[in-house]
Amino acid sequence: MTSTPESIKSEVIRLGKSKPSTTMLDAKGYNGNILLPDDLAIRIEDLSITYKINVDTKKTLKNAVMRASKGEKVRMRTVEAVKRVSLDIPHGSVVGIVGANGAGKSTLMRSIAGIMPPTTGRIIVNGKISTLLALGVGFNPSLSGRDNIILGGLAAGLTRDEIESKTDEIAAFADLPDGFIDMPVRTYSSGMYGRVAFAVSVSMTPDILLLDEALSAGDAAFKEKSFLRMRELVQEARTIVIVSHALATISDLCDTAIWMHKGQILAHGEPGKIVEEYLKFLEVGTLPSNLEDM
Amino acid sequence: MGSAERKSARSGAPAPLIQVFEPHKAQTPPLIPYFKEFWERRAFALELARFADKAEYLESKLGKAWLVLNPLFLSLVYFLLVTVLRGGANKNTGLSTLAHILIGIFMFYFAQNIISDGAQSITAGGRLILNQAFPRALLPFSSSVRAFGQFWPTIPTYFAVVLIGKIFYPKTHIPLADWNYLWAPLIIAALAVTAFGLSLIFAVMNVYFRDTSKLLTYTTRIWLYGSPVLWKPEMLHGWHRIFIFINPLGPTLAATYHVWIDGVRPSNAEFVGMGVWVILAMALGTYFFTSRERDFAVRI
Repeated sequence: MTSTPESIKSEVIRLGKSKPSTTMLDAKGYNGNILLPDDLAIRIEDLSITYKINVDTKKTLKNAVMRASKGEKVRMRTVEAVKRVSLDIPHGSVVGIVGANGAGKSTLMRSIAGIMPPTTGRIIVNGKISTLLALGVGFNPSLSGRDNIILGGLAAGLTRDEIESKTDEIAAFADLPDGFIDMPVRTYSSGMYGRVAFAVSVSMTPDILLLDEALSAGDAAFKEKSFLRMRELVQEARTIVIVSHALATISDLCDTAIWMHKGQILAHGEPGKIVEEYLKFLEVGTLPSNLEDM
Repeated sequence: MGSAERKSARSGAPAPLIQVFEPHKAQTPPLIPYFKEFWERRAFALELARFADKAEYLESKLGKAWLVLNPLFLSLVYFLLVTVLRGGANKNTGLSTLAHILIGIFMFYFAQNIISDGAQSITAGGRLILNQAFPRALLPFSSSVRAFGQFWPTIPTYFAVVLIGKIFYPKTHIPLADWNYLWAPLIIAALAVTAFGLSLIFAVMNVYFRDTSKLLTYTTRIWLYGSPVLWKPEMLHGWHRIFIFINPLGPTLAATYHVWIDGVRPSNAEFVGMGVWVILAMALGTYFFTSRERDFAVRI
């Protein structure tokens, strides 16, 4: 993929091997008549995400006043986290994203989840999204595992009734020792904590599951259980997007992979091949010859 | 939806849920879908408030009794301070001073809790902001719900104190049952909404300047002294009364005094003052908060 002039849309990458569907879904009620092929779970159109960060080490009012009195401006740095990405992800795909730190992987995931709005471009998502971008989001360490399951489920968008009906199932999946479910989570080991958090996320039967390094939760046995649960979700035609530095996970679990580099998609295709190219890059530090003009 | 534009379309069964995320126009998310989702996710804010309270008082011997004891002790300290400064109090004015300070402190601390907890809600909810999509205003709203949960038990406490006071000093004019108490829910609602609007502004400021919440501790203390809580609204005359109306909580606290201590209807000026501050605080707070929401995920 080469860089393109601003006026031209970036090349659309379609993941998966199936032929594009011609049946379109209409995002009714949306201004501008948005249509999405019914086989797609996610369509990313020419997405760029840019933000400014304050590079001052002390973000205090005192510093701001001192700076203003000297007529200095706030020191800001513009970060182009995602640059002109266009991507079609069909339903039932398990997509792995690899890339070095700062490649834009997590920002891309957050934008698909609706956490970070695009600076330019558009994301259309067909289905209920569940995110596991960090373990124990919304958890309160003083509360019991049971309370945190409710809190985590509500944070993820479930209703109180929905999450209460699943509490026992989640507790069973997390496989906590007897009585631990009613103990404060600050008494849990990090593995137990991770298992509860993971169990909350995969219990939601989402259409689209976004995972960021989450498979590292728990011990070997729980990792195997997580892996099987992921396979179940895939068999139920769920769409899963995984960001991981665990390249074996990408190769084993995903049916397609993309390699992100400096906010752009550098390569995409069969996971084994992408991981191999990425590993070469990590070892040698140079981009594949056909991608050097990026 | 987080801060992105999101609209859903459901048709047929199983219903596809199509969400569209686009850049914000003028940095503000479309407000109708935003408030629709805010309403749909209110259970999250309510439970967050409930669980935060549960976690805080889990290991306290007196538990939630502190919700009443804290402002009650504080009121007694201020009562002693005020009577000492006055050189003592007779039995009739003493009870009305105590009752005024009690209800004034209870009301002021309700507003202060909404503002200060709301101000910290975004920075404290960093992991939620970074990892879940929801209207961010739910976090300060949750703080307001929690503050209300801490406030309402103080009302029966107030009546209990006045009832006991009336037994010992039956000639006191403080009303115990009066039709003008019907204004109280309106006054409490005006106070809560004004404070919530202000909390939205301070929550954003705290994202940009982390010492906002620390400054608020001192600012609210001065704010308390400048409000008709430790002094009666009637103590200001002529143009000095402007100090009641330029204070966002001033008209509400003055109205509180008139209903709870004097047993009369709030003045028209107080109603207008309350209305103006409710509208101003909510309009400015909502605009300021929603227009900066996009920044939260990258500034936390």
